Amino acid sequence: MQAWKALVQASKYQIYVSRSLDPFLNLSIEHYLLQQSPPSSTVLFLYVNRPCVVIGRNQNPWLEVDLNLLKQPRASGHTQNVDGKESNPLWENVQLVRRRSGGGTVFHDEGNVNYSVICPTANFTRDKHAEMVTMAIREVNPRARVNERHDIVLDQGSVLEEMDWPDAADMHRTMFHPSSEKNPPLKVSGSAYKMTRQRSLHHGTCLLASGGLARISQYLRSPSRPFIRARGVESVRSPISNVHETPKASTPRFNNSFQMEVTKTFAELYGIGRPGRMCGFRELFNMNDGEILCDWDSEWVTGFVGSKFDNIDEVQEIQEGIEELQSSKWLYGQTPQFTLSSHSNEEDERERPPLPKDFPPSARVYLKIRSGVVESSKISISSDEDSANTERKKFDHVLKDKRIHDIGDFNDVLNRVEHGVSTEVSSISRWLNIMFGKSS
Amino acid sequence: MAAVSRTGPGRRAFTTSIALQEKKYTEEHEWIELSEDGKTGTIGVSVYAAKNLGDVVFVELPALDLEIKAGDSMGAVESVKSASDILSPVSGKIIEANDVLQEKPGTINKSPEGEGWIARIQVKDGGEVEKLMSMDEYAKFTAE
Repeated sequence: MQAWKALVQASKYQIYVSRSLDPFLNLSIEHYLLQQSPPSSTVLFLYVNRPCVVIGRNQNPWLEVDLNLLKQPRASGHTQNVDGKESNPLWENVQLVRRRSGGGTVFHDEGNVNYSVICPTANFTRDKHAEMVTMAIREVNPRARVNERHDIVLDQGSVLEEMDWPDAADMHRTMFHPSSEKNPPLKVSGSAYKMTRQRSLHHGTCLLASGGLARISQYLRSPSRPFIRARGVESVRSPISNVHETPKASTPRFNNSFQMEVTKTFAELYGIGRPGRMCGFRELFNMNDGEILCDWDSEWVTGFVGSKFDNIDEVQEIQEGIEELQSSKWLYGQTPQFTLSSHSNEEDERERPPLPKDFPPSARVYLKIRSGVVESSKISISSDEDSANTERKKFDHVLKDKRIHDIGDFNDVLNRVEHGVSTEVSSISRWLNIMFGKSS
Repeated sequence: MAAVSRTGPGRRAFTTSIALQEKKYTEEHEWIELSEDGKTGTIGVSVYAAKNLGDVVFVELPALDLEIKAGDSMGAVESVKSASDILSPVSGKIIEANDVLQEKPGTINKSPEGEGWIARIQVKDGGEVEKLMSMDEYAKFTAE
């Protein structure tokens, strides 16, 4: 790996495809490339992750994700959702990941290819590489275009009159009717960015042939959404689609040809594949795992990384990156301040959906969470104000400074408070377990 | 600049207690302004940086008592799906963060070099501040 590290620090153009499906490793390789590649270099990195939900840097996992559904045993046939409705079978063990870039929550699986371009901030625009990827998608789907949010969507309308067709090089308009109320454009790719003074990273997803489109929305629908008021960044919901019309069995072939197409458009955009020169993108797809190819004058380097042969996860910076991303301090502690309240209050006046039938009618729950830790709480069961006050103090005493992530079952914490009717404490705990994803 | 004290006919003497020193800028587009005694500095991002960021939707503020070196990350802002680190122009200890930005992150766009300041720092080495760019030098730097 020493030789590769030296090439990362020296080469002007770099193209890598990851052989690993580990989201933590792939994001850490990406971060390593952002930090180690030369200021004037341009890097393309392509990777696929096994099923995971990826939240943005400043998002709230409890609000964005139904954590109750992660780490489910593999379902056979239909399974029950927390609200009792029948739903599509779920994946086994979906991981929660918080990335270092901004933006909203996305779902990854093996039918989704991620692209990442790292370039000098001076040459960067938010659309530049979305346009590059759109060009690659248009090889198989002419409906693709970049929208105003720098995402890539497929127009769903009918073909326009020929006189209204845009220039073929226009990546912001297609020859199809852009939108109608019944058929809004469908999103196939979302973008997020991480910027430093000299370097900008643009990464995006691309749903090619995900088998799980119908299941994805279940993961991104948290039961605590009506009860949480959060600072930070909320996701913008969009209807999604695959680029291909999903014959699922063909996924590896789709991924491979998309990666080749993106590599080609990247090489064209940056003039790497000029005639008479060795050009990385052609060689790349004939290479073996762990093999790195470069030219003699530090112009370009290309290869597959992250296979079991190259020990890339032993590069110290990458290892540290993985540890940081997997730490609960990053996953949960990075969450901007939020409150969870069972009833409308001054801070969060929204009307709440009905609480569970066994939730004690006079009970009130309010938690204020900072950095994933209970900063203060007001939990009471009695309708009588004096008793309620005493209860609030007792419950706050056991909850204060507790890390939400460390609590396995709220009942274990709350039942330490002596209270007349413990079934009431149990029902409140049960509700909190659902709210915070402890109820799988 | 020194504190101003003057006496005029028919007027009471007054002093401006918080006179400020010259504002300095970094290549990372942060600014720092020292208090009169040179012991504490107020830090923010420049007008130029705020314009490039676009609409700021979230600010990660530094924790109080955080000890940092010049160039270390002391927070981050998010704008248009982009996360950008804020780097401390100098070494020292964070003594205050601008809580207004938690409720109103857009203040950075409205007044990056005023109400949208990010944090105050107890400066360890005043020499670090002197090495930074003056307003004129920074204007030339951003024009390049």
